Amino acid sequence: MCLVIVGAFLYAPPAAGFIGSSSRILFFHVPMAWTAFIAFLAAAIWSGLYLARREPRHDRAAAAAVELGFVYCALATITGAMWARTMWGEFWNWDPRQISIVLVLIFYGAYLALRGAIEDRERKARLAAVYAILGVVVTPFFFFIVPRITFSLHPDSVINARGTIDMESRMLQVLVASWIGFNALFFWLHHLRCRMDALRERRES
Amino acid sequence: MAQGSVYWVLAVNLVIWTGLFLALWRLDRRLRELEKER
Repeated sequence: MCLVIVGAFLYAPPAAGFIGSSSRILFFHVPMAWTAFIAFLAAAIWSGLYLARREPRHDRAAAAAVELGFVYCALATITGAMWARTMWGEFWNWDPRQISIVLVLIFYGAYLALRGAIEDRERKARLAAVYAILGVVVTPFFFFIVPRITFSLHPDSVINARGTIDMESRMLQVLVASWIGFNALFFWLHHLRCRMDALRERRES
Repeated sequence: MAQGSVYWVLAVNLVIWTGLFLALWRLDRRLRELEKER
């Protein structure tokens, strides 16, 4: 990640059409949003596994993925707002992209509230699993469909409507490296969280 | 952003990420010790 940071600030050039170096936030904002999406997708897969096999470790893995996805999603929202302040003059502009990412945050915030509200472990795990699987429909809708069917001030996605990537090669190299780094960090954090939960459960039982 | 500010942001970023990495590495080691104890 340190190499990515150095690359983001010193190797990649600022993108044309952006104020100053504001485009450099892309190397953090975009991979965070993608990693959040992968986290929510992984949560749905672990939830499906829980419903099929009823193994508590799958429920723990799904919950940890949602918690981390929520943090990544919140950071993507904050970095997006910082960029909006520079480019559009305000942190919050009611842009469809901003609204859709906040709706995703509310959706997964409700998942965490649901888990906190139910005492019975089996019931909590079952309901949370169904909710996380529902997220497979909700998340792609807000991440990919809403921004494409509504007018938005947000710059084009990295992979544009024609399915191509129009980006300077050094910027693309840093972006891909950053994406790999953020994903690796997610899986490391997830692994640590699951191990902590497993230890706690062993201690309690 | 002036070139000097970029270096400041870079330095702050590096400090934060290095700190995060060290904290996680310590946590990983501690967890391994606890897992061995049991």
